[in-house]
Amino acid sequence: MKIEIGAELPAYRIESVSPETMKVWAPILRDPNPIHLDREVVKAKGLGERLINQGPINVAYVMDMLMRNFPQGRIVSMTNRFVDNVYEDDAVEATATVTGVEQAGDETRVSCDFALKADERSVVISGTAVVAVPNT
Amino acid sequence: MTIPDLPDVAGYSLDGETYTIESDENRDLCESLGVAPDPEGKAHPIYYYIATQVAMGETVAGLCNVCAFDIEDGPMMGGSNPSFNAPLMVGEPYQVRGQIDSIVRKESRKLGIMDIMTYTLHLDRLNGERMCSATNSWIFPRGQKNED
Repeated sequence: MKIEIGAELPAYRIESVSPETMKVWAPILRDPNPIHLDREVVKAKGLGERLINQGPINVAYVMDMLMRNFPQGRIVSMTNRFVDNVYEDDAVEATATVTGVEQAGDETRVSCDFALKADERSVVISGTAVVAVPNT
Repeated sequence: MTIPDLPDVAGYSLDGETYTIESDENRDLCESLGVAPDPEGKAHPIYYYIATQVAMGETVAGLCNVCAFDIEDGPMMGGSNPSFNAPLMVGEPYQVRGQIDSIVRKESRKLGIMDIMTYTLHLDRLNGERMCSATNSWIFPRGQKNED
């Protein structure tokens, strides 16, 4: 794939957001909030019937999309705007469009606009990212 | 719901503790995402958020409390903007530093009165070299004016 302004990066799709991932992340985040772990609490709070994915997991999906597209690169910066929740069993897809390509010393800095979309509700995170890729 | 005055929290210190990304934990996290841990010891970059949040010296509930907001009333993350000077590494201790930058009150048709609190956290190597910074915002819905 040629990296140029306007190029759409290959999407990264998660077919089904897993409650098991939420369980793994809860102690790592030191976040015992039961809306990620207990459906009865989600119902009691009037937030629906499915567990709510921790927000940082959604950011990680976007990061993984970027790193899959630029495996030798490193993320320099991101802006993440949280628009909606992601729920267990959701199918989500991270997409990005290149908005800038700049040479910076021995690396190329690729800027892009991205979105994480849930099939059921459209955009859940929107934002921008800059990835530094070593020149070969 | 009684709406408190806008709390005067700008400048509140979030200088916290040191945080070390443990190899086992990074591996579990990567595997939960279906990605392989980096063989050269780079941590998953989402640790910018985890490390700063865990070691900022306040829990999320505590941070809400500083802003006169009960976590049971449902704070919402508005945004998170990291910048990295280098990849975060497994096994290296990072010192967390930061502060609350601002809190502003706005009104929306959907949420009524809400406070938007912005804070910045840094991960520094123990020699003081800054590895990454993150500016996050939380939204505290305060309810409608006429709910008193």
